Amino acid sequence: MTTLAQASTLRGVTADLDALLRRVAEEDVEAFAAFYDNTRARVFGLVLRVLRDPGYSEETTQDVYLQVWRNARTYNPAAGTPLAWLMTLAHRRAVDRVRSEQSASQRESRYGAANVDLPADRVAEAVIQLDEQRQVTECLESLTDPQRECIQLAYYEGLTYVQVSERLAANLATIKSRMRDGIRGLRKCLGVS
Amino acid sequence: MPQTELDDVDRQLANVPPPVAIAFADEVRAVRETMAKLSVATAQEPPSHLRERLLAAVGGEARVIEMRPQSTRWRTAALAAAAAVAIGLGAIGVGIAVRPEPKPSAAEQIFAAPDVRTVSGPIPTGGTATVVFSRERNAAVLVMNNVEPPAPGTVYQMWLVGAKGPESAGTMDAAAVAPSTTAVLPDLHGSTALAFTVEPNGGSSAPTTPAFAELPLA
Repeated sequence: MTTLAQASTLRGVTADLDALLRRVAEEDVEAFAAFYDNTRARVFGLVLRVLRDPGYSEETTQDVYLQVWRNARTYNPAAGTPLAWLMTLAHRRAVDRVRSEQSASQRESRYGAANVDLPADRVAEAVIQLDEQRQVTECLESLTDPQRECIQLAYYEGLTYVQVSERLAANLATIKSRMRDGIRGLRKCLGVS
Repeated sequence: MPQTELDDVDRQLANVPPPVAIAFADEVRAVRETMAKLSVATAQEPPSHLRERLLAAVGGEARVIEMRPQSTRWRTAALAAAAAVAIGLGAIGVGIAVRPEPKPSAAEQIFAAPDVRTVSGPIPTGGTATVVFSRERNAAVLVMNNVEPPAPGTVYQMWLVGAKGPESAGTMDAAAVAPSTTAVLPDLHGSTALAFTVEPNGGSSAPTTPAFAELPLA
């Protein structure tokens, strides 16, 4: 997969996911395929980021899209964009799998030391030319290191706030405020109203 | 958050004044949109076979075979499946769209189950077997992609392997092994794996050859 092809896939996300999802709710296989093509890199990438194992990630990605197929009709446009609905679903499935599969320590030993490659670093070396990605990178970089670390552990590692505070040896109130400020910063930077 | 905390949040939300609940929902929505935007940072292409497998799983629902251990019922099911294929794949999309509110099929119920899980593995002679299962529904859907048909005079037999050893879950003959085959396993019997063997026509009451593939149901 060349960078260019991936770029066009990612751009396609702005295509009318809303309309596709409505057709998926009517069991339109073609619309389902298009919805998958427009979102698969985001879903698989997030799941892989959380699970770290390509095999588990494939299975979980498949479960996510089966859930999309079955539950498309429960999508409520008033509650958010289709992408947010999908990514929430994907994140929840991935974190559920992590928590059910094994403890965090086992996961680290199995897939090598959990090197903290912040998403910001990945993007920087990968496909920087994309406007959207550059914007996201800049937004991630605008956070303080402790804020980014908290989001990293809670979102991508699937740790609870209590576990994050234990991992970072900081008290819970501090962690909660770092998370809150970090997400608020991202939200503002990314222009989410 | 752990589930207990989430339940707590739900309980508390039910008791707060509407403006607070709305503000909370708005906050949740904003966080979700933010994280959705962030997903561009971790984007990565999945392997291409995932697409085929998914489309086979959702498209194949229209010609799902109900597998039964008894050979007579199995033959009927195989005939029905063959007929469904003969009617034409092109009609499936239309057929589903105009069907008046069907009762959810066994496969649909499995896909909709909250505990739905997927395991898949390669078949040594080529192709992939994927099992989508739900412990809650006590049932599974088997999807076979690009699997070579069994040699003449033989069938593939599926075995649910549990504490009491392998229990037949049905057979597939050459006609049933289409480029993509979907079959429902209606009862998992608390088994821990699904194994495949080659058996003489009609199947066997116990495996007579070593399993050529096995998928853990965990």
